Amino acid sequence: MSTERTERRHRGPAVSRSAAAYLLLCAGALLTVAPLVLSAATALKTPGQFATGSPLSPPNPVTGANFHTVLHHGLGRAVLVTALMTVFVTGGQLITSTLAAYAFARSDFPGRDALFWGYLGTMMVPPIVTLIPLYLMFAKLGWLNTFWALVIPFVFGSPYAIFLLRQYFRSIPAELLDAARLDGAHTLDIIVHVIVPVSRPILATLTLITVVSQWNNFLWPLVASSGETWQVLTVATANLQTQYNTQWTLVTAATTLAIVPLVLLFLIFQRQVLRSIAWTGLK
Amino acid sequence: MSRRVVRRALTGYALLLPSLIGVGCFLLLPIAVVAWLSVHSWNLLGPVRFTGWDNWRAVLSDRQFGHALVVTLALTALVVPIQTVLGFVVAALLARRRGGTALQVLYALPWMCAPVAVGVVWQWVFAPTGGALNAVLGRRIEWLSEPALALPSVAAVSIWSNVGYVALFFVAGIRAIPADLLDAGALDGAGGWQRIRFLVLPLLRPTMFFVLVTGVLAAFQTFDTVYALTKGAPDHRTDVVAMRIFSEAFDAARPGRAAVMAIVVCAVMMLITVLQHRYFRDRTGYEY
Repeated sequence: MSTERTERRHRGPAVSRSAAAYLLLCAGALLTVAPLVLSAATALKTPGQFATGSPLSPPNPVTGANFHTVLHHGLGRAVLVTALMTVFVTGGQLITSTLAAYAFARSDFPGRDALFWGYLGTMMVPPIVTLIPLYLMFAKLGWLNTFWALVIPFVFGSPYAIFLLRQYFRSIPAELLDAARLDGAHTLDIIVHVIVPVSRPILATLTLITVVSQWNNFLWPLVASSGETWQVLTVATANLQTQYNTQWTLVTAATTLAIVPLVLLFLIFQRQVLRSIAWTGLK
Repeated sequence: MSRRVVRRALTGYALLLPSLIGVGCFLLLPIAVVAWLSVHSWNLLGPVRFTGWDNWRAVLSDRQFGHALVVTLALTALVVPIQTVLGFVVAALLARRRGGTALQVLYALPWMCAPVAVGVVWQWVFAPTGGALNAVLGRRIEWLSEPALALPSVAAVSIWSNVGYVALFFVAGIRAIPADLLDAGALDGAGGWQRIRFLVLPLLRPTMFFVLVTGVLAAFQTFDTVYALTKGAPDHRTDVVAMRIFSEAFDAARPGRAAVMAIVVCAVMMLITVLQHRYFRDRTGYEY
């Protein structure tokens, strides 16, 4: 068998074809990363160099002045607000989704399945649909332009998170839960001491997904906040762009600040992220 | 009912309570408000007036909204096929090669970045003076303000953001195909293309379905990218429905009409999903 296989594979063309594939892949990767790298490089240039040199030339001298300027024009605060919002929402989502997913996966009560599928169906409603009523509700309550306006709509979990966790919780062996129950553990004990420890991979995945989507969230913060007090990073970046129209060294400094934290997170947790995507796509 | 059953039901609902509050207050209630708004006239400040079908009539005969739907469909038709094909090609080349994972990370990078920030980066890339693209080409092209180029430019940014993400799903799908199967195909004399056509693609149908459905839904809702790049300009050439709804509600201060538009968009999206579902079920015999 194996000799036949080696005979069939002509080594020469296979190697050159592989080299061509690598070349193609690297060219594509370069094209993918280039806009981000070039814009980060622009953020490190002086306005003088930007005006006279090519946009493609490396920064020389390297300056941090652009970052200094945008951080002092509201972006520093925006970074803090965004980080705080992300922490709150992610924490809330993890807790509420874990509880709900446990109920859907492991409790048995009337109406459970109907409730679950109804819940899942709400994923079909796009955010732009609920945007206007949410805005009106928050305006009516006088909650617009507060920190809670940014957080509350997302802190109570999401159908997506519950779905993801439920799938995972269902695969946990029943014996594990029965043993804990025999030892007299209550539902909350079981969740905290049995379910959560064995579900670390999926919880890490969910944490990453929530952090990314919350850090990048734009539409709701755009309408829920005005002025600089509770401005998040995405909104501040969009505003700076209008404010510093064509002062590209400043604008690229702002976008670099909005992008770099997540890029770092991604590079640190890349294994986890790649696995999480496989999870969400194939289940 | 025995006490045990009652107790279990109580525990179940207690666990669900926070999530039910979330869905009730921030999803179901807003949906009810959308329905209510759609038959009322209001300018965000003055009195609210019941107007029956007036908003519906106005929106359904609104040429600009029809135009926005066409623009959105055009954007979706540009973005989804190209990103799916490119994503598949990247994945097919990456999946079973050394160093694939490292390259995968680079390809997926744009997807992690905030779409607004990405839009702003590309506004600089597209800038007529001082922009990277024209510097590379040595020309002076108005990528975003030339009417014929604006929508393709916006589409290019979306495709750029999504290719790596789509490729990740295909890589996962391809890696799940047993190597023996592909080797057997090779033994039977199937060339590279034939193996992809008759072995890999049929086995990847669930992945394909997922990538297409989520891709269409995402493309149909495009907002952040357009907001950062063009805000619908030039001459409404990139005025997608999400942008239209947003400006109808907050710039024109006509939340009633915006609500009608939102309902129409929601209906169109559901229709598209059902059609895709049907198509895949009929073509593959799979139940999803």
